[in-house]
Amino acid sequence: MKNVVRVLWFGVAQEITGSAEEEFMAEDTAVLRLQILERHPGMRTVNFRLALNGTMLKKDGQLEENDVIAVLPPFAGG
Amino acid sequence: MNDSFLVAGPITPVLISELMTLGNDDTGAGAVSVFAGKVRDDEIEGKKVTALEYSAYNEMAEKVAAEIIRTVKSAFSDVRKVVFVHSTGVVKAGEVSLFIMVTSGHRDHAISACRHTLELIKENLPVWKRELF
Repeated sequence: MKNVVRVLWFGVAQEITGSAEEEFMAEDTAVLRLQILERHPGMRTVNFRLALNGTMLKKDGQLEENDVIAVLPPFAGG
Repeated sequence: MNDSFLVAGPITPVLISELMTLGNDDTGAGAVSVFAGKVRDDEIEGKKVTALEYSAYNEMAEKVAAEIIRTVKSAFSDVRKVVFVHSTGVVKAGEVSLFIMVTSGHRDHAISACRHTLELIKENLPVWKRELF
């Protein structure tokens, strides 16, 4: 079942997509990744990871309604 | 004061002084190791960087920071206190954007743990930067 999820953009992903967040409808994170690349082809050049509800996602899995997914380009702190 | 946090703008000498008083009541800590990361005025494609603009995923960063501190404390048995702060927003070249302080009973663990904390921050803290010219 497809669920509405909030996608937060960070770093260069914010510049590419031109926004801070968007809504997607997806049943799992693997599908969501594909949707992200489809909606924002510029993201194909970014080696991004995903966080689910504030925790780094180790492997793809199901999404629940109102989950928050953060799109994380390579970190550059320090 | 928290063990770790994000701070808006540069980490000033005043803030560093305040942070360095943390743990002053711990008279068993014989070593204090500190690291300050500063913004460099790199030249990129012929243009000088005048500042970096940092952004963070705050909610996750707070959790990751706490996890880094737990990891360092469990990896170095002599470590007594781990404190670090990272800037968000604009930090000019020459200003400090990251400050780490580790206290321990003796020097070996303070120095090693400070270095280890830095590497964990670089690897895991959800922070990004954008060059301003």
